[in-house]
Amino acid sequence: MLQANNFSVVLLIQLTLLTFDLFVNSFSELLRSSPVIQLVLFIIQDISLLFNQFIFLLMLFNTYVFQVGLMSLLLERFRALIMLSMLYLLFSISLHCWMMSLRWMKSDHFVWTNGLLVLFTLQRTAAVLYYYLYKRTAECLGDPRLYKDSPWLREAFERSRQL
Amino acid sequence: MDSENLKVKSTRRRELPPLPQTSRGRTLPSLASQDTVDEVPRSRRKKAKKDPDGTEDMEDTGMEMGGVASRRQSVSQTPLTPEPQEVPAARKKKKKKQQTLDLEGDQAGLVNGDAADAAEQTTDAEEAPRKSRKKKKPKVVETPYVNDLDVEEDDIISDAQSPIPQHSLFSAPTGQSQPVGKMFVEHGRRFQAADRIDKRMASDQLDTNFMDIQSMWTTRDVSLKVHSGYRVIGLFAHGFLAGYAAWNVIVIYVLSGEQFSTLNNLLQQYHSLAYPSQSLLYLLLALSTVSAFDRLNLAKATIAMRSLLMLEPAALASLLYFAALVLTLSQQMTSDRINLYPSSNSTLWPPGSEHTTLYPWIGVNLAVTLMVGLAWALISTGPETDYTEEFLLSMEVEYPKPPQKADMPV
Repeated sequence: MLQANNFSVVLLIQLTLLTFDLFVNSFSELLRSSPVIQLVLFIIQDISLLFNQFIFLLMLFNTYVFQVGLMSLLLERFRALIMLSMLYLLFSISLHCWMMSLRWMKSDHFVWTNGLLVLFTLQRTAAVLYYYLYKRTAECLGDPRLYKDSPWLREAFERSRQL
Repeated sequence: MDSENLKVKSTRRRELPPLPQTSRGRTLPSLASQDTVDEVPRSRRKKAKKDPDGTEDMEDTGMEMGGVASRRQSVSQTPLTPEPQEVPAARKKKKKKQQTLDLEGDQAGLVNGDAADAAEQTTDAEEAPRKSRKKKKPKVVETPYVNDLDVEEDDIISDAQSPIPQHSLFSAPTGQSQPVGKMFVEHGRRFQAADRIDKRMASDQLDTNFMDIQSMWTTRDVSLKVHSGYRVIGLFAHGFLAGYAAWNVIVIYVLSGEQFSTLNNLLQQYHSLAYPSQSLLYLLLALSTVSAFDRLNLAKATIAMRSLLMLEPAALASLLYFAALVLTLSQQMTSDRINLYPSSNSTLWPPGSEHTTLYPWIGVNLAVTLMVGLAWALISTGPETDYTEEFLLSMEVEYPKPPQKADMPV
């Protein structure tokens, strides 16, 4: 059974990483005087994104539902976050690579193109959706029913066995 | 005497009734009646001593089945000659028989009807004084089994075994265990041994601490707390965004002059604010959009679509915030161009290009301001609406039940 204290710590770490991601997305364009600063920020942002994914997966593995073997139940319930997080990671890495390649030699110059603007818009929009779904998922992982035996879990187990 | 005992024993064996049938409506005889029934064989034995030949048949009718009478008569007419070797065996068997006499007496009392009642009534008066002297017979539990095998009372199990409890699919099997002197109490991640006596004394405090149990935090409470905390941040972001957007568009229109006649003035005054303003606008829009999605519970797409079709304020606000976000992001390039006005004046801002570049930018900023202002007003009409909180509240929590005294191990 997941303890409230442990869950609080995990939730705090997750929200801290989300907040860092939001601030990098918001103010990284203001810190482009030196390209190294932006590069370091982008690297840390991508690593924190991956770290957030690992924490989410670890929380999934810690549930009683997963330990029983009903992984499909969890994947079905949280598939939106899993897909969007992969999409957001893809957009972020692509945008960061493109942006750094354009700004490495001329950091304070106008480098925008239509394609870059489209990718930038997609990445920032996906970020907002990612923040919402991740926060909601983190809160939903506090459901006590995921960490203990219950009638609905038995019914789901019987259904999976029949399938 | 021994021959008589043998006779009695043999007749007793043959007289043992089958499974009792309650068609006659007879109930179990009481202890007193059992005593009288027990006394009947003794009286019969005495009478058997007196009349070894035939009269015992009359007495035996109260004890025997009707179909065995002819056989009994033949037995009585041909008395057995006891063999000396059979005497000690007979005595041993007699002792065993005495133990089972109570049982047989009860069975006989069940099977035989009025004849037995009559026999009891006649012997009650004679044997009443003997009741007090009689030892209290232990209450014999009647069994439906035929006692042809000389089964002792100790071997008879009267109580049915309790059924094996069905345990859940995933939990450990429950069963009777030997009590131990120590209990293991979970503290955090460890189990510590504690004496049962101490826990029993502390059980009285558990009742008083029952209310404290409900005040303990669960993971659901943590989730709800985080959600409510973010809702406060979201409310602040809604208002601040609406005010800042309004201030921004007012500044733009003031610096632009009447009918946008002084756009160069706008570029000169506003170029240092353009990119920070864009960044702040994105930050506030992200916070407000997530908050609006929380109120709508966007993850439940069907419910969200239904709310949007019903033109609910939370749904409309979410749509307005998302549209404002996309529009603001689309102006990133223009904002960077305004930001780079002093350094790249000739390349980025050729003469006459201010109107074509800034008109859309000003228009989008105005649209964003109107959208966020309207969304803030819609959310203000229903500040308590929060479908995600209702969803989180539906997560079941079972509070630990206080241990009942009956469940406390002795």
